[in-house]
Amino acid sequence: MNKKTKILWLQILTPLAAVLFAMIVSSFLMLAIDKNPLEVYATMVEFSFSRMDSMAAILFNATPLIFSGLSVAVGFRLGLFNIGVEGQYFMGAFCAALVGFSFTNLPMFIHLPLAIVAAMAGGMLWSAIAIYLKLKRGVHEVISTIMLNYIAYSLIHYLVADVFMDQNQNIPEGLGSPLIRTAKIAESALMPKLHGLMGLFGVELPSYVYVNWFFLLAIALAVGIYYLIQRTPFGFEIRAVGQNPGAAEASGIKPAGVYLRGFLLSGAIAGLVGLSHLLCFYGFMDLDFPKSLGFNGIAVALMGNNNPLGIVLSALLFGFLSRGAEGIQTFLGVPMESVVIMQGIIILSVVVAANILGRYIRIWEKKEA
Amino acid sequence: MDIMEMLASALRMTMPILITGIGAIYSERSGVTNIGLEGMMLTGAFWGAYGSLHGGPEVGVIWAIGMAMLMALVHAFVTVTYGVDQIVSGVAINILAYGLARFFSIALYGMATTSPHVESLPHIDIPVLANIEFFRPLAAGVSPIILLGLALVFVTYWVLERTVFGLRLKAVGENPLAADTLGVKVQWYRYGGVLISGAFAGLAGAYLAIEHTGMYVEGMTQGKGFIALAAMIFGNWKPFGTLTAAFLFGFAEAFSLRVVQNKIIPYQFIKMLPYLLTLFVLAGVVRKTQPPAAVGIPYSREEK
Repeated sequence: MNKKTKILWLQILTPLAAVLFAMIVSSFLMLAIDKNPLEVYATMVEFSFSRMDSMAAILFNATPLIFSGLSVAVGFRLGLFNIGVEGQYFMGAFCAALVGFSFTNLPMFIHLPLAIVAAMAGGMLWSAIAIYLKLKRGVHEVISTIMLNYIAYSLIHYLVADVFMDQNQNIPEGLGSPLIRTAKIAESALMPKLHGLMGLFGVELPSYVYVNWFFLLAIALAVGIYYLIQRTPFGFEIRAVGQNPGAAEASGIKPAGVYLRGFLLSGAIAGLVGLSHLLCFYGFMDLDFPKSLGFNGIAVALMGNNNPLGIVLSALLFGFLSRGAEGIQTFLGVPMESVVIMQGIIILSVVVAANILGRYIRIWEKKEA
Repeated sequence: MDIMEMLASALRMTMPILITGIGAIYSERSGVTNIGLEGMMLTGAFWGAYGSLHGGPEVGVIWAIGMAMLMALVHAFVTVTYGVDQIVSGVAINILAYGLARFFSIALYGMATTSPHVESLPHIDIPVLANIEFFRPLAAGVSPIILLGLALVFVTYWVLERTVFGLRLKAVGENPLAADTLGVKVQWYRYGGVLISGAFAGLAGAYLAIEHTGMYVEGMTQGKGFIALAAMIFGNWKPFGTLTAAFLFGFAEAFSLRVVQNKIIPYQFIKMLPYLLTLFVLAGVVRKTQPPAAVGIPYSREEK
């Protein structure tokens, strides 16, 4: 085996070893609550792969994670840490919802793309603040995006609860109170599910699964980002600046411009993260809109080594983990949170393993030189 | 509204931010960014309530500090020994802490979101002041952790400015290579800084669970760990600056609870205030900040 293939193999095996390590550590937790870890893992696998609805749920779970993993990875490739995907997707989702419920008589082929573009614009706008502060004012993007995440949470809370709350909800006389949510998004801005397409292949999906065309859009975007980074001049600039801004500048690339465009791209992708939930599952924005998808994207990007293909695979892995978590909670009474813990341990062990691998490769190269 | 009551309420809101923020100074000054403080505070709150339930509030405080330090140890091990990106590790710590708290909450109490009610520490009346009617809201029945938190500001100032440990800690955060050449054990001080920040975050968590709410509630830290980080930045990485900022943020929070009823300013905007102010400070609108020169950069001997 030559050196390059050996390194490639090591790079593939390292995250797998990290997952194995996380499984071993989590086993102790399961033993602590008197559950057999082998049975737990077997149930996760069986529940996830023996049923069509579970397979669809995995794809649905993976959809937002592919977007957020790609968004984080574009930042990482630039050498910037976009920890603000969280706030950016909240802004993006709100902009899409705004477009979705404000227009009621647009044809679908205009309305849905318009909502998607609005989401990207919203995410981009929120990322623009962070990158402006970094380039013009020298504010580190990690700190500013943490602050912007919380500002976005509060702003969306205000917009949903105080400004755009749907006052025309039909509540049966004397039953309950209106929900704190926006008006329902028009039918023409909702993303169709994948049922029709799967039907062509003879796969019948149950009506209660929500996997939709955003999944295929996410896959397409992953391919697009791969092409962009590996094959285009802009992608070359991103890689050059990310690896060594000084050297890039010396060879005639202006790092500031690349940072700006790259970070805005990351923000635009982040805007798409919440759409699969918003435009297919909920159909409106409310105060329980799922959080933490942005933070999980960091895990997905790291696990996938910032490579679009790796990101798709690791998003599917995380999608499988959370579906499996539902299985073990239902059938074995093991708290779903054991899987959240596993995710945390996976992140830590992936980065530690990558670090050890990096040292190993460097020592090895020194020996050969 | 009574001004003294308002101040007392602000002081109670200030405490978790202040204590965690003061702790963050040790970590940051040693050169390690710790955004896992949110998770460590949550860990402290959970185990504080647990310890308090089984051995009284004093035991709860010890549990809180110990368990939060354990999380800090993971952060230190990963970032200092292995030189892994400190932000990544912090994010993982936060996810881990959230998962662990829910997991153990289900395992121990049978529900994911709250613990049973716990007893608080014996409260203290400040002599003389507590007898004057005007000062009563502020000086009577004060939690000992509030007094401890205020004392820690002075202690931290003294440690950083007057002790060998503090001066070396700062040296490690400014120029680890220079410190190393002079024989200061860089790794050792960074471990120390991170562990102290974990201990403080644990104490802040214990305060929230045992003193403030009287039970553990899921998500009770509500981003206070991040606000603490903001307060520390706002306070320019210094104890008294952090005190001022934490009090400003605590006051804003106490104030926001009162305007909910008045509806003058939407309370969501008051909730944004700490973050907005911090952005303005960092952007140099208010004044220049000066972070430790080597913060966030892993140090490894072999690669220098």
